[in-house]
Amino acid sequence: MKNFFRKVAFGLKPEEKAPSDPLMWAQKQVETIPELNWKGKYIYSEKEMRKHWIKQRVTEETTFKKKYKNDPEGLRIAEKKLEDDSGKKFWPNNEICMRHAEAVRSNSPVLAKLWYFWTNHFTISDAQNLPSFSTGAYQREFIRANMDKTFETMAIEGTIAWPMIMHLDNKDNIGPKSVSGKSEWRRRKKEPATINENHARELMELHTVSPKAGYTQEDVMGLACIMTGWKPKWTKKTDQGSDIRFMSDEHEPGKKYVFGKEYKKGKKSLKIAIKDLVNHPSCREFIATKLCTYLITDKPTKEMITPIIKAWEQSDGHLPEVHKAAIKVAFEYNDKYQKFQNPENWWLQTINMSGATYAYPIPEKKMDKFELGYLISQELREPDWLLESIGYHPYRSKQPNGYSDLSSDWMSTELIIRRLMYAKRAFHTYKIKDQIDDTIHEKIIRTNFDNPDKILKIVSKAKSNEEKHMILFNLPEVLRA
Amino acid sequence: MKISRRDFLKGSATTLFLAGFNLPALAATSKKKNLVVIMLRGGMDGLCAVPVIGDKNFEKRRKNILIENTIKLNSDFALHPKLEAFNDCWKENTGSIIHATSIPYTQRSHFEGQNLMESGGRIAYQEKTGWIGRAMKLAKLQGDGLALSLPMPLLLRGIPKNNNYFPADGKLPQKDTLDLLRSVYAESSEDELLEMMDYIKKRKDEQMMGGTSNYGKRKNKNLAKQAAVYLRKANGPRVAVFEVNGFDTHAAQGGVDGTHTKCLVEMDEIIKNLKTNLKEAYKDTIILTVTEFGRTVKQNGGNGTEHGYGTAIFMAGGLIKKSQVHTDWPGLKKKELYQGRDLNATIDARSVYASAMSTVFDLDFKRIQKDVFWGEDLQNLSDKLFKT
Repeated sequence: MKNFFRKVAFGLKPEEKAPSDPLMWAQKQVETIPELNWKGKYIYSEKEMRKHWIKQRVTEETTFKKKYKNDPEGLRIAEKKLEDDSGKKFWPNNEICMRHAEAVRSNSPVLAKLWYFWTNHFTISDAQNLPSFSTGAYQREFIRANMDKTFETMAIEGTIAWPMIMHLDNKDNIGPKSVSGKSEWRRRKKEPATINENHARELMELHTVSPKAGYTQEDVMGLACIMTGWKPKWTKKTDQGSDIRFMSDEHEPGKKYVFGKEYKKGKKSLKIAIKDLVNHPSCREFIATKLCTYLITDKPTKEMITPIIKAWEQSDGHLPEVHKAAIKVAFEYNDKYQKFQNPENWWLQTINMSGATYAYPIPEKKMDKFELGYLISQELREPDWLLESIGYHPYRSKQPNGYSDLSSDWMSTELIIRRLMYAKRAFHTYKIKDQIDDTIHEKIIRTNFDNPDKILKIVSKAKSNEEKHMILFNLPEVLRA
Repeated sequence: MKISRRDFLKGSATTLFLAGFNLPALAATSKKKNLVVIMLRGGMDGLCAVPVIGDKNFEKRRKNILIENTIKLNSDFALHPKLEAFNDCWKENTGSIIHATSIPYTQRSHFEGQNLMESGGRIAYQEKTGWIGRAMKLAKLQGDGLALSLPMPLLLRGIPKNNNYFPADGKLPQKDTLDLLRSVYAESSEDELLEMMDYIKKRKDEQMMGGTSNYGKRKNKNLAKQAAVYLRKANGPRVAVFEVNGFDTHAAQGGVDGTHTKCLVEMDEIIKNLKTNLKEAYKDTIILTVTEFGRTVKQNGGNGTEHGYGTAIFMAGGLIKKSQVHTDWPGLKKKELYQGRDLNATIDARSVYASAMSTVFDLDFKRIQKDVFWGEDLQNLSDKLFKT
């Protein structure tokens, strides 16, 4: 049973009492979205964060290109200074602290684990400086904040949010027959307007119906045409950093077709199209399967998926209901299936079960000392480095499909080396008094396992507390949940 | 370019042989031979890397992203000028290109396409093993694969005990700790974890990064140096797999200094450092590239290109028969394009992979065709492309 606390959350802290009704404990957490646990002074909206992105972008692309045209050394120094001025190296660390505080310090770790699922579903991959300034804020504002609404709301808001439009190039998706497409300046400057199908394709493939729906190239083009004109207005001052708007002069006129359905020209069609995609049977099946893969097993069965689909249908895709159904399935299969944890979830479980949450994530009072214009200390840059090292940086996925949810993709010599190294690291986040506490591992084990004696026996073979940590957090029983 | 399809194959081989350059004859079959695969993720644009010469229509459709000052390979094809290392291979008669090729996948999804370029199958996500993994199993090459990436790519799966190298920060735990964990894995029949623990026990601290200042050790060009050191050892791995990301240039693909070029240069640096550091073993090696698809012939309004179909494969190494552009060129007129937009593919890329593996693993082509590629209709190109 105790495995369930690691399956849907990050285990229990050494002194924590196991909730008497684990299912209710878990389901209750997904009903509402509480305020963030993190109370640091730097919590900015996506729009506010964009100011820093603009500073970085405009200075790099406009000022520096002119000023340091023939001075590479000057450029190098100026770029370093710009990083300090825009906070480029600070923001992702600050965002990771907010993200991880939800897992190990908040009263809703189950919600946090599902939040991570959705941030990976709506991945913003490593492009255009987005990880440094915008991805964290996107994940708070458009993903987490919509976890108590319908999937349709999350899909619409997640799609037309500035970071996603930028990430998947919809800013370049301009109707060839639109007013802008036909304008004289395009002919003169030889800059024809064309459809950019990147975002439309991923909206179907990754975010909603998946290829199982059997869409064609024509469907992708149809949706891409519906999406024309949703972009930031370019200005010299902001480059592409202004708000996303529907620019009717860049929208492709005429009717469009997706899955045989006709859509009129204009602003309203995108939301209608997303509504239709979200209500396509393939969408709920795709997401129910993904949820089971994330929480339960690489090979979800029909019996696991069906109750989640049913909850979706009955609630019109209301996410709290979908989540409750997924949690219930995870609860029912708790004893039968143990899922190999991805590196980020494993790390958070290691910190949480250790009770080292006073030191990780880096406390607010330390992060708040940062000031724009000054070099960020090595200590404050640790979260970014850590996630990159263990192979799971939630803002730096290489491709828009995010990270795999399959156990087989987390098995390699190097990935297992990381688990050893970071179990040791977790031990050293302890204060000295905990490092020398010879009873701490017994507490961790008794709190978190139904069969503590077997695990205690293995761990007791280690010669030091540090070694006990490395052994414990690399036992098959801990790698899986 | 006036040539059309079919009359092209015979004329495509290069006639460029440098005087005085003569590779030694291929050693006996018992000699260790290596296969290196570079996976180009995102859809490598074969027409950017190896453009056709003199096709006005092509030039018109790519006005803003056309590569200038290309290197002429033969009368019909040129090479991207930044591919300097590959050009050296070409000049030394150890670099060749397959053009207008692809895996048999036309749906234009990266992730399905990448799954299929690694599995070698036709239905995405159906196969849980890769074409190299299966062929290594056939050749009984257990423990001879090395991935230069953090996860183990699907391409190498299918045979136990493949290793990977992507240096971690810090120092490994002491031997006692590793032994203790190893015994736990052994007792609980955790075969995969056990396998990895055996590799970890052999790791040396100098193989780790030793501080964040060594971050460069994880860059592909440096991984290539290290991989070459392992590959050239008689008892070292026989297969290495790299990944280069970022070929999906829907916007700002750019010209000779653009984003696509940067990715191509990363590939070129791998080839360069492998070649230099493999030393003598280079002559017993095939390096080849794979990608999920090519890109549209026409540029889009954002100076990028969309997902396409036909593309090119780069090959280098001493086991290459000669420098040539091997192709059954389909042409670039609208009616010759796949769905009116993409370069067509006239050679199943898997024929090239199967032929390369037949050469390196000393396996009969037909066995590979049957046991690795499910008896699919593939062409044996071994004697055309490789020193058999």
